[in-house]
Amino acid sequence: MSGAEALIRLEGMTKTYLQGELTVEVLKGIDLQIAAGEFVALQGPSGSGKSTLMHLLGLLDRPSAGRYWLQGEDVAGLGDDRLSELRNRLIGFLFQTFYLVPYLSALENVVLPGLYSPGSARHLRHRAEELLVQVGLGDRLHFKPTQLSGGQQQRVALARALVNDPQVLLADEPTGQLDSATSAEIMELIASIHRQGRTVVLVTHDAPTAACAERSIFLQDGRVVHA
Amino acid sequence: MLDTLRQLTRVCGMAVAALWAYRLRSAFVVAAIALGIASLTVIVASIDGAERKARQIVEMFGPDTAFVLGGDIESRAVGQRTLTLSYEDARRIRAELPGVYLVVPMRARSNVTVYFGDRRMDLPIAVGSTAGYAEVWNWPLAEGRDFSEEDVERGAKVALIGDTPARELFGDASPLGFTILVDKLPVQIIGRLAYRGVAGMGPPVDDRIILPITTLTQRFNLDRKYFRALRVKFSDPENMAFHVENLRSLLRRLHNLAPGDKDDFTILTAEEILKFLSMFKGGLLLFLGITAAVAMVVGGFVLANLFYLSVSERRTEIGLKKALGAKSRAILQQFLAEAVGLTLIGALFGMILGMGMGKLLERLEILQILFSWKVFIYSVAAAVAIGLLFGLKPARQAAALPPVEALKGV
Repeated sequence: MSGAEALIRLEGMTKTYLQGELTVEVLKGIDLQIAAGEFVALQGPSGSGKSTLMHLLGLLDRPSAGRYWLQGEDVAGLGDDRLSELRNRLIGFLFQTFYLVPYLSALENVVLPGLYSPGSARHLRHRAEELLVQVGLGDRLHFKPTQLSGGQQQRVALARALVNDPQVLLADEPTGQLDSATSAEIMELIASIHRQGRTVVLVTHDAPTAACAERSIFLQDGRVVHA
Repeated sequence: MLDTLRQLTRVCGMAVAALWAYRLRSAFVVAAIALGIASLTVIVASIDGAERKARQIVEMFGPDTAFVLGGDIESRAVGQRTLTLSYEDARRIRAELPGVYLVVPMRARSNVTVYFGDRRMDLPIAVGSTAGYAEVWNWPLAEGRDFSEEDVERGAKVALIGDTPARELFGDASPLGFTILVDKLPVQIIGRLAYRGVAGMGPPVDDRIILPITTLTQRFNLDRKYFRALRVKFSDPENMAFHVENLRSLLRRLHNLAPGDKDDFTILTAEEILKFLSMFKGGLLLFLGITAAVAMVVGGFVLANLFYLSVSERRTEIGLKKALGAKSRAILQQFLAEAVGLTLIGALFGMILGMGMGKLLERLEILQILFSWKVFIYSVAAAVAIGLLFGLKPARQAAALPPVEALKGV
């Protein structure tokens, strides 16, 4: 696969943190490629660096060294504003702890990414309502996060991740705080998002969850052990 | 351009939602700012009030007029003679001083009572006047006529009545042509003075009755040779300082004062009164200005403090918004919008509070207050300035948070 074909391509990506006097190398040179439309699980024990890798993939953080092409664009050296734009347009996020704004309703939370992009407000609201109906929360548009169960909150987050119609969904342990029945429902929703043609990268340490993906990338000690 | 505007509108919407979500904290900031703005409101209003009063006094006094008082007011307490101005002085000034077009000797009797039918009113002053009282004092008549030369010459039993006693004795009816008693002297009312209503130092100006100076002197047994004050009008007000000096040296000569002696009279001009008033205004500005500045700075620090707290408490929200595509600018704008929004609400409450305080001060006759658009504009400008000044640092801090750091910081 060449760089132009892959949606995501990393070359020799490292990430080091300074902990007091100590330099900790969390990622020790990652090479990997993910094609458009793939469903990839990023697996590994805790401390293997998979969350750090996901933050780098999601442009939430910058690598210490190495290169990163996203949709053929070299993004390793881009400025903050440009990164914000790319995140806004290309990437949807799911987090383990949902990260809903507590004082906003479900609908207002879903609308949020759209407020930072140029689309019209009416269209945005319409799309947000549609997505909430799709994830089964059509009757809870105006509920605050605290009035929703964990599974419902993650559904709101899922709708929010899709509101700007991104290419990529990055999910960081999306079922980590949910019971198994609810987890299965969320995974089914994520699988359906993949079936719509989106690229999904799922970070998990849980093998059954990873089984939903087409391909697994294993991380250990800051390196890809087998892909 | 349109996009920027839309972005700003959206950011402001988010700011409003956040302010409402943290309403207790918002209320504290609003209260702190309101106190500062309230003091600013009182200051601006009272300084404007003082200025209006100064203008009214000058208008009443006339810029072309010098006012000569018998005796030196600085040393009157020592028991100096105050009756030093004589009719002869008045006559000589009129005849010899260049540029003078009017010399009006003034006499007054304090504490008289006026009666009409079964109504009565105590007045602080009955004023003696030469012909043309209204003209000399720039005090228009609401109705009737002024004193003529003839009235003064023959000591006619006629009077001009002030607005307050006219209402007291006659209600809304016209007092013209009626005869009232001033103490025991019956006089016919020939004119009513317009309402003037300058309050403040001294008794209300509308509480007065005016008689021809001859009538007052003869019927109330006042000294016939001397009088208390003299009003001198000059035809060109531009050269007042020059005229006043001429007047002073003439009077010194008439009173046979040796070069080392102090004046036995005092000359006041509108300018001098203004000087006094601007000193008063300066003191007011300094005193209230410091109070307001301190109050505003306190308000600003309360704002800054609560916003630092807010930024650290809302790290996750900030990180999340950045992850979802908010640029640093959008975060900065949101926090600034929150700060300015709060200070503007504070300004609104502060203005209401300040106006209440001002009305109270006015009712207690401590200050004269004038509310205007200026108060509103100053308050809003001060509020925005505080919001931007004290909100900027916390807002910058929030905007500078890297998304991953902010998300981790739970």
